[in-house]
Amino acid sequence: MHLEYFLLLAAALFCIGIYGLITSRNAVRVLMSIELMLNAVNLNLVGFSNYLDPSNIRGQVFTVFVITVAAAEAAVGLAIVLAIYRNRNTIDMEQFNLLKW
Amino acid sequence: MNEILIQSIWLVPIYALVGVILSISWSPGIIRQTGPRPAGYINILMTLIALIHSLLALSATWKQPAQYLSFQWLHAANLDISFDIEISSINLGALVLIAVLNLLAQVYAIGYMEMDWGWARFYSLLALFEAGMSTLVLCNSLFFSYVVLEILTLGTYLLIGLWFNQSLVITGARDAFLTKRVGDLFLLMGVVALLPLAGTWNYTELGEWAATATINPNVATLLCLALIAGPLGKCAQFPLHLWLDEAMEGPMPGTILRNTIVVSTGAWVLIKLQPVLALSPVAANFMIAIGASTAIGASLIAIAQIDIKRSLSYSVSAYMGLVFIAVATQQDITALKLLLTYAIAMSLLVMSIGGVVLNTITQDLTQYGGLWSRRPISGICYLVGAASMVAFPPLGCFWTLAEMANNLLMIRPWLVGVLVVVNALTAFSLTREFCLVFSGQVKQMTVRSAESLWSLVLPMTIGMGLALHVPILLHQWGLLPEWKNLDSTVVIALITSTFIGASSAAIIYLNNKIAKPIVLKPKAIQDLFAYDLYTPQIYRVTIIFAVGFISKVVYWFDRYLIDGVVNLFGLATILGGESLKYNVSGQTQFYVVSILLGMALFIGVICLPLIPQLTF
Repeated sequence: MHLEYFLLLAAALFCIGIYGLITSRNAVRVLMSIELMLNAVNLNLVGFSNYLDPSNIRGQVFTVFVITVAAAEAAVGLAIVLAIYRNRNTIDMEQFNLLKW
Repeated sequence: MNEILIQSIWLVPIYALVGVILSISWSPGIIRQTGPRPAGYINILMTLIALIHSLLALSATWKQPAQYLSFQWLHAANLDISFDIEISSINLGALVLIAVLNLLAQVYAIGYMEMDWGWARFYSLLALFEAGMSTLVLCNSLFFSYVVLEILTLGTYLLIGLWFNQSLVITGARDAFLTKRVGDLFLLMGVVALLPLAGTWNYTELGEWAATATINPNVATLLCLALIAGPLGKCAQFPLHLWLDEAMEGPMPGTILRNTIVVSTGAWVLIKLQPVLALSPVAANFMIAIGASTAIGASLIAIAQIDIKRSLSYSVSAYMGLVFIAVATQQDITALKLLLTYAIAMSLLVMSIGGVVLNTITQDLTQYGGLWSRRPISGICYLVGAASMVAFPPLGCFWTLAEMANNLLMIRPWLVGVLVVVNALTAFSLTREFCLVFSGQVKQMTVRSAESLWSLVLPMTIGMGLALHVPILLHQWGLLPEWKNLDSTVVIALITSTFIGASSAAIIYLNNKIAKPIVLKPKAIQDLFAYDLYTPQIYRVTIIFAVGFISKVVYWFDRYLIDGVVNLFGLATILGGESLKYNVSGQTQFYVVSILLGMALFIGVICLPLIPQLTF
């Protein structure tokens, strides 16, 4: 197995996340896409730590931090979505274009 | 004592300038309580002082060689402009003539401007003219002649525009200023071009230079044409003659000055430049053409006028045309003498007519009639003026015209014909005016027309005395041509033309069998001359149209193209802001796309050059 396969898979997952991030109308799906992107990053980190830094595995430490921060971020993100939902009764991203020109 | 008088001759213009400044105090806005009369009296006093000074100086310089004074005016780098003064009998004679005519006109104005509040303005302008003309005849430098001519152009504008609440006065003053200004500007071109060629603006040195100068004939022609253009406008010659007609809207005492000596200022410069103008035969022919066409054209127009002042004003143009001919054929002394005799005769005519107009109100010749029995003094003055104006021996202009014709006979015989025709036409025109004003039936406007106040009659009669004494004075000064030198056929032709002109006018206008007003068979010809060859219309479709059109085009260009390009930049910036703001779409996801695209672009730009270095 080569590092490149892991990296390509992670890149593909990241791009899928980006696609989901910019095309989803549902705000929760946007958060889910962000999770996908974070997981792609985690895959990268684990791959690099296995192939390039097997002795110290600093990448895996990073991954643990990223997972923690991602959980906190998802929690805050869902809180924001809820707060918006309370005011506007929708979580459609297309309805959130109030702060324009 | 004599020497002091001569050396201080530059004071003569200063006297008049003092009058200018003092008389302004009596403007209605400054001295509000006591009326404007002292302004006039002060000016008359100043003119009298100037007259006495110049008379004494004249007698002191009589038959003496000319003296020259020079004041440094400006010295900068290589340019040295000095104010040169020539003190000779000719200059002082002109100075005396100016002072005398000013004195007459100012005394005349006491009566004429009786019912007018604007004495301060009027007299200060008259004095400005006196100062300007005195400076002009004294100064011996083309540059300062030009300076004075320009100041007098401004003076003309202000003097014609004295009664500026009348619309015709406004247009007349405008035309007088612009027309004379155009000529002056051409003159300036000539003046500026002359300095590198001759290295001097001093008339005496110019004469010496011209005697030996060898310059390209084309340059000489252009130079001379530019130098002629100034006097051309000043002397109201074709085609710059309309202003004099419209200048007749100004007050009559101003007209006395304008018709006699102001128009002569151009002729004076022309005479002074005669040595330079002799450099170019083309310019001489041009001057002859201008002079001859103006002389004949203007005398024909004068006959067709019904306005008494305008009829005289065209005779002015005609006589200035004769001066042009005289200068072109290098008879500068004859031209000077013609100016002297003409100025005295014309001043008499205008003074006589002015008195008539003042009491009879109308200026329309067809409304006049039968004034002879009640206004003998005006009538006699008019007759003497008319007789001195045309070749009527032994009065003034006869001698100068005869001398001129005699000289012309040697060089260009056909010009004698012009002279004879102009003389006949002027005699006709003056006699026609006399007959229409003083003889015939009394008309409604002239039923009651008394002789004027003393202050109008006094200068008039003094002027008549002068006119009658001109031949004696000329004889005393040895300026009369010798009888035996004059060609008798020329003299006879001139006298005959006078009598033919005068008697045919008398026959036509004194004869009740001929219906008045006279209508020529082809009415179009009569109208052509009555409307001054339609000069206003010609101006309007040529120069005024061209300048107006070009200024409209330039305005449009400036307003829309130059302004538009600059405005376009501003507009484009506004449009850019207005359209680019839609990038702030309010969609979070759109911002994310922008960030990602920006990053991709940045990475692409950074990484693309690195791709070939990759090794797998």
